[in-house]
Amino acid sequence: MKSSIRRSRRAGLAVALGSVLALTATACGDDGSGAAGDKGNEGSGKGEITFWDNNGGVRTDIWKEIIADFEKKYPDIKVNYVGIPAASAQSKYDTAIQGGGLPDVGGVGTAVLAEVAVQGALEPLDSRLGKSPLNGKLSQNLLDVSKSAGGGDTLYQIPTSANNGTLWYRTDLFTAAGLDAPTTWSKFYEAADKLTDKGKNKFGFTIRGGEGSIAPALDAVYGQTGITSFWNGDKTTVNDPKNVAALDKYVALYKKDTPSADVNNDFTKMVAQWDSGTIGMLSHNLGSYQDHLKALGAGKFRGIPNPTADDGTRVQISNPVDGLSLFKSSKNKAAAWKFIEFAVSAAENSKYNKSAGQVPANTDAAKDAWVQNAEPTKLAAEALNGAGTKIVQMPYYLPDWNTISKADNEPNFQKVLLGKMTAKQFLDTLAEQLNAAQADWKKNH
Amino acid sequence: MAQAAAVAEPPAPPRRRRASATPRRLPYLLIAPAALLMLGFIAYPVVSVFYYSLQNYNPTKPWRNGYAGLDNFVHAFTDDPQFWDTLTFSAKWVVVEVGLQLLCGLALALIVNQTFVGRGLGRALVFSPWAVSGVLTSAIWVLLYNSQTGITRYLADLGIGEYGTSWLSDTSTVFPAAVVADLWRGVPFFAILILADLQSVSKDLYEAAEVDGASRLKQFWHITLPHLKDAIVLSTLLRAVWEFNNVDLLYTLTGGGPAGETTTLPLYIANTSVDAHNFGYASALTTVAFVILLFCSVVYLRLSKFGGENK
Repeated sequence: MKSSIRRSRRAGLAVALGSVLALTATACGDDGSGAAGDKGNEGSGKGEITFWDNNGGVRTDIWKEIIADFEKKYPDIKVNYVGIPAASAQSKYDTAIQGGGLPDVGGVGTAVLAEVAVQGALEPLDSRLGKSPLNGKLSQNLLDVSKSAGGGDTLYQIPTSANNGTLWYRTDLFTAAGLDAPTTWSKFYEAADKLTDKGKNKFGFTIRGGEGSIAPALDAVYGQTGITSFWNGDKTTVNDPKNVAALDKYVALYKKDTPSADVNNDFTKMVAQWDSGTIGMLSHNLGSYQDHLKALGAGKFRGIPNPTADDGTRVQISNPVDGLSLFKSSKNKAAAWKFIEFAVSAAENSKYNKSAGQVPANTDAAKDAWVQNAEPTKLAAEALNGAGTKIVQMPYYLPDWNTISKADNEPNFQKVLLGKMTAKQFLDTLAEQLNAAQADWKKNH
Repeated sequence: MAQAAAVAEPPAPPRRRRASATPRRLPYLLIAPAALLMLGFIAYPVVSVFYYSLQNYNPTKPWRNGYAGLDNFVHAFTDDPQFWDTLTFSAKWVVVEVGLQLLCGLALALIVNQTFVGRGLGRALVFSPWAVSGVLTSAIWVLLYNSQTGITRYLADLGIGEYGTSWLSDTSTVFPAAVVADLWRGVPFFAILILADLQSVSKDLYEAAEVDGASRLKQFWHITLPHLKDAIVLSTLLRAVWEFNNVDLLYTLTGGGPAGETTTLPLYIANTSVDAHNFGYASALTTVAFVILLFCSVVYLRLSKFGGENK
């Protein structure tokens, strides 16, 4: 009897162990790429690589075109394209870093670069770029931003595009109202007032109150005050009294000259609202150019860099730079690097940015005729590279930046719009968190 | 002696055949894969969350990671007003949603349980929102509440209210607006379960009650409702747990806003883990939510005497 029970237990144990091993094998299996900590290897320079597009859907067509060009030039390399919606790119990377399945190459913007880099997932690229034909062909400004956003002296991203804050305005409405282009903040506020007629569903401006609201608000604040540095020693300038006054003036537009529904506006809702309604101005970046073109047609709108002070001084915050990163866990880094080099070459980088309406990182591509013909892109490039432009560098290198600028303070910005918090309270809270994050970062770097 | 020995020694039991041992083990063998899968997919994540709730764990700040003891729990209860705000909102959301869904579901089930022309179509209409995916439900209500394409736009055209408004952007209307959207999705769940149970009530009981002169209201109160008790208890419990954990609809409709007015505890947990990467603290909050749900479920089942005889 005992021996029968023992046999039965042994059999049960065997089944259990077999199942556990099967489960373990399944859990450990992946597509060949790994998690952070895997060192990967150079590989043969042939075979398959996986590329994650961090703006899937919106940029899928152009990336597929670039991949087709690449596979034509390198027939022994196949690129598996995976499009990831921009809103979930960060969480997909985080999940893959912890659980495995990272790609060989991925689109990583500077806004999330620090937190991906600090987890040890990215391959340093300084040495590869030094030996590459791309060396000397990329905008030094953008390379500096990429390096800084990576958290220090190492380059973890090859920039592909620069974006810039853009004030889109309806030329037809401005002409009908006899208004000048909103090139200065005074003209901007005047136009916002004059174009508003709430009873006829006409508004002067649409403000971003939902997801992603902090950056445009800070752009408006620093643009008005002319403060040119985000830090004064170890303390942020964000709650400087001048900035508080500027934010007060900016949020006063809410409901007075904007739809009240704007408090929940993320970029999709805001752009759709501007493209379908009768709203005079929209503050977004170059990325929505094609949407406006399709919805309104070329003759009804213009996109200009954010307004200047009355004396022409232009101060703006640094916009996130988009780019490509090589993942440390890649088993085929040689092929993956070839893909990055190809995608950022003059012809392909030009093609990509023409489609995206952004400023090419490749300096040869930036000279192409389309850049001169696409006015918003041309003006953005001039503003970015203009001698008179002062750029306030945002602390993208802080691993806490995304948390502070999103989860912690977007609800607070809504409170300011709704009158439940003052601009001073909002900026003081933001400053306190940034100062703490900066101190923590300095202590550990 | 030989005879006594023969009597004392019982006959040897028949040798158990090998085939009979297999069926005894067979049930264990058959449930082993399912049991192991449950261990893998339920026990492991649950234990993992308990483990991380005692840790400081934020992959973007590895220098801070390590054992935290009960610090995460202490912080939640003593130093995090958002925890209390979101927990309070979750409780309000569950009570209002489940209560309204039950009342509307019960009323609709009683109606479509009657015999009338077009009953099949009526039932299909009542049940159809349940067949619509959560994403699509959210998309429908986002459009309905949109300031340019939705209800408020058409009301403004008629001179009611202002242009550019949305019920989701006003702190005084966002809660009822979100409740209505989720009500549309949740009512069919109750209607289906209650209708199924209604069809098992013996007609004899109603006939006897009519003979005794009982009104329709008394019949409902003394026959229908007691019969539905177990179905109502179970469905409200299930729905309460689902509503407490509801993230998709509120996230899509309001993102928890405006100004955090519609942030439930699970939405706060999602933001803490996914956006802020504070997995240790998010695990502690999840553990607290788990204990709250468990406690409320046990108390509810005890108080309602679920499964007991109706007297």
